[in-house]
Amino acid sequence: MTDRVPVLEFRGVNTHYGPVHILKDVDIEIFAGEIVCLLGGNASGKTTTLKAVLGMVTPTTGDVLLDGEVVSEAPTSYRVEHGVSMVPENRRLFKRMTVLENLEIGAYLRRDTENLADDLEQIFELFPRVKERLSQKAGTLSGGEQQMVAVGRALMAKPKVLLMDEPSMGLAPVLVSQNFEIIEQINEAGTTVFVVEQNANMALSIADRGYVLQTGQIVLADTAENLLADPQMRQAYLGEMD
Amino acid sequence: MIELAATSEIDTRKVLRLGAIAGITAVFVAAIGMVEVFDTRSVIDPVLSLGYLSLAWIPLLFGYRVTYEPVLEGMEPPRKGPHNLIGGAAAGLVGGAVLGAFLLVIDVIDIREILLNVTPELVGILGFDQSAAVGATILMALGAGLGAIGGMFHVLSDRWRRAVSSAFVWVLIIGFIELVLGNVFDGLAVGFLDDLVYSENRGVTIGAAVVIAVVVIFMHFQFTGRASRVRERFQALPENKRRSTGFMVATALMAVGLLAPSVFGPFLNEVLATVGLFMLMGLGLNVVVGFAGLLDLGYVAFFAVGAYTTAVFTSPLTPGDFSPELAFFSALPFVIIMAAIAGIIVGTPVIRMRGDYLAIVTLAFGEIARLVFQADWLKGTFGGAQGILRIGEGMIVTLFGYVLAGVGIVVGIIGFLRWRSARADDDASSAKTAGVWIGLGTVATVAGLLFPDFASWTVTGIDSEAVFRLVLIFVALAAFVSWRLQDSRIGRAWMAMREDEQVAETMGINVVTAKLLAFIIGAILAALGGALFAVKIGTIFPSSFKIVQSIIILVVVIVGGMGSLRGVAVGALVLIGVLGGPTQPGMLREFQEFKLLIYGVLLVYMMLQRPEGLAPSARRSQELHGDELKQDVWLGKDQEGED
Repeated sequence: MTDRVPVLEFRGVNTHYGPVHILKDVDIEIFAGEIVCLLGGNASGKTTTLKAVLGMVTPTTGDVLLDGEVVSEAPTSYRVEHGVSMVPENRRLFKRMTVLENLEIGAYLRRDTENLADDLEQIFELFPRVKERLSQKAGTLSGGEQQMVAVGRALMAKPKVLLMDEPSMGLAPVLVSQNFEIIEQINEAGTTVFVVEQNANMALSIADRGYVLQTGQIVLADTAENLLADPQMRQAYLGEMD
Repeated sequence: MIELAATSEIDTRKVLRLGAIAGITAVFVAAIGMVEVFDTRSVIDPVLSLGYLSLAWIPLLFGYRVTYEPVLEGMEPPRKGPHNLIGGAAAGLVGGAVLGAFLLVIDVIDIREILLNVTPELVGILGFDQSAAVGATILMALGAGLGAIGGMFHVLSDRWRRAVSSAFVWVLIIGFIELVLGNVFDGLAVGFLDDLVYSENRGVTIGAAVVIAVVVIFMHFQFTGRASRVRERFQALPENKRRSTGFMVATALMAVGLLAPSVFGPFLNEVLATVGLFMLMGLGLNVVVGFAGLLDLGYVAFFAVGAYTTAVFTSPLTPGDFSPELAFFSALPFVIIMAAIAGIIVGTPVIRMRGDYLAIVTLAFGEIARLVFQADWLKGTFGGAQGILRIGEGMIVTLFGYVLAGVGIVVGIIGFLRWRSARADDDASSAKTAGVWIGLGTVATVAGLLFPDFASWTVTGIDSEAVFRLVLIFVALAAFVSWRLQDSRIGRAWMAMREDEQVAETMGINVVTAKLLAFIIGAILAALGGALFAVKIGTIFPSSFKIVQSIIILVVVIVGGMGSLRGVAVGALVLIGVLGGPTQPGMLREFQEFKLLIYGVLLVYMMLQRPEGLAPSARRSQELHGDELKQDVWLGKDQEGED
């Protein structure tokens, strides 16, 4: 691409779990405003990639950069404060806390507390249903509503990149597509999104670009269109559709 | 199931089953010696001794349960009628028969070899000093009668049921607290009341029992609903008014609490001081277990650290050369520092542990602490098994000035924090209030330090009145700290961590700091409890810090309601106040031997029936009963702040 600085970048990242080599020379670049997806099957290293972004796994070699700043050694809290937040797999809300409390925890590290009310309003604009449920325990919401709250919670941290871990996991098909609509929606509202997904079709349908991870290595990196058309890709992940 | 026309409503199988359970329970109570030990204590003189009472509640309860049917939404309410009485009587009869059979057996066969407590005296008590056959018949008749009374509670209207049960309860309570009430009457200079209410055998007289029952029932009809109306009015107040009213009530309670010991008499003060100690530790453990969700079974370690630090710093008889002989309040800063260090030492290695593993490791830490204090290796410092004597030189000199300075510092810090947040919010008026806080705090600190001897207050460890006051002040401080922590930022972080540690971490919460902080705050509160404990009894031994201490504090928190401040207070009052601490007596001194049994029964019952505790926080009770339908009703309360 151009000489723009990526908001999130992996430079030759290698990670180990014990002696086992997990990520192998992974290079990823995500630019402001994009939706980028990371595709891969089970045990391909998707989750480790996310952990490396958040600082729960430290690269053995290589660097993770946020907005051009090397954060490979920084703790999770520093990275959250400087622009990443995650919507975890299966939403994982704090079920016994109210919706509002969940959203507030999302803004736990924010210093600019005076802006919180405005940000809440923005989230209500995105998801009017969340506003109706504010004082309800998060565990009592329907699956779709929980997803909205999970996204809202992550957005409350004002991330530069929103990480989404398997947004299609464990949801009914209707909710899956609803979910991807949400992703598009927040992307249009200006947030960069990094989606980690098994469901390649769904992810590529909304993404600008995609990376394909196989046993810890990036085997393909291209625009979503090209990936959808790629014969190797079609065979491995998309199945023969038409 | 046999169905007869007259008893069509009665489930025979249920009657037999519950009757048998009642009988077995009664046999158990008798066989462990409870009946005999309690028989010496009269509750209503001369008809009811505590021994008979320990049996009588059984047919009452089971007689009630046997025809109990829940009210189901959208269904016809359960029918009331003679079947309630008949069912109750039948269950009571079965229970009485089982106990009667037991009586017949132990009358003929001596089983003392196996069951030590099945003595001839027990035979006499159970048989009402008649022959075994007559005794068994009486037991059956009484069982049936009491069962019927139990069943009768269904027939009564709700109001009468409550009135009658509170009359029952109050007569019993007043019978129980004979000693305490006698002291209070003396303290209030109305000693003659004692002779009116109680007979020479320490029980309520029959006449007094009737009067009490009538008065309670009358009061019940007069005042039912008043309390809830007052609460409603309180809830209707605007936020700031509610706050100030709350503070006023708390201050008034505190004042009463500080004045009351003068009329309580030594025994009640002693009991209440023990209650206070456990409340203090309960509040601390509540931070660790209730707020942060870390199950710490070695909590006694911090209690021991507090006690030993106080001992080493204040006793003139420390085993080693290090013997600063400080006054109690001067030793407190060291207690706090040592507790914080202990909290870090225990907390650090278990940071990554959860649930069962955490519980096991902390359990071990509790034992390690005791062994360290007991070790010959450190005998020069802690005195080994001989412990440390003459702690606080038998005296706690409370210099009011230092207390004032301490309060001033706290107020000042709170003021400063508020001022900082007010400045961040650009809120001029609250910045002003915060400024007033800072000012007051500074003045108090300076005044306190300038005149440390002002209104100095000397407390000796054996002066139970003064000790209770001192404990009360500490409890109030701990309660205030917990209350502020609950809704603080760190309180939220703990809550999130308790829910889902991993996600909390991804939200940027530093779980290591949060956990350590919980451990440290809990440790400090426990250590303060230990410090008070040490000066209160003046002598400490390693054996005072056994594992059962940790367990009992945990039971206090669980029975009261985890995460609820009110719950800790209720739990400590009920468990420690009534039954007593691990070594200290409670109001019912007769229970001493059976205390752990009753703790256990209570714990099992609570886990099954009321896992949220006696006085839960609104949040927990909702969680545990899954009352999602009542969501909105509850939320109203939720937002008013829990406790």
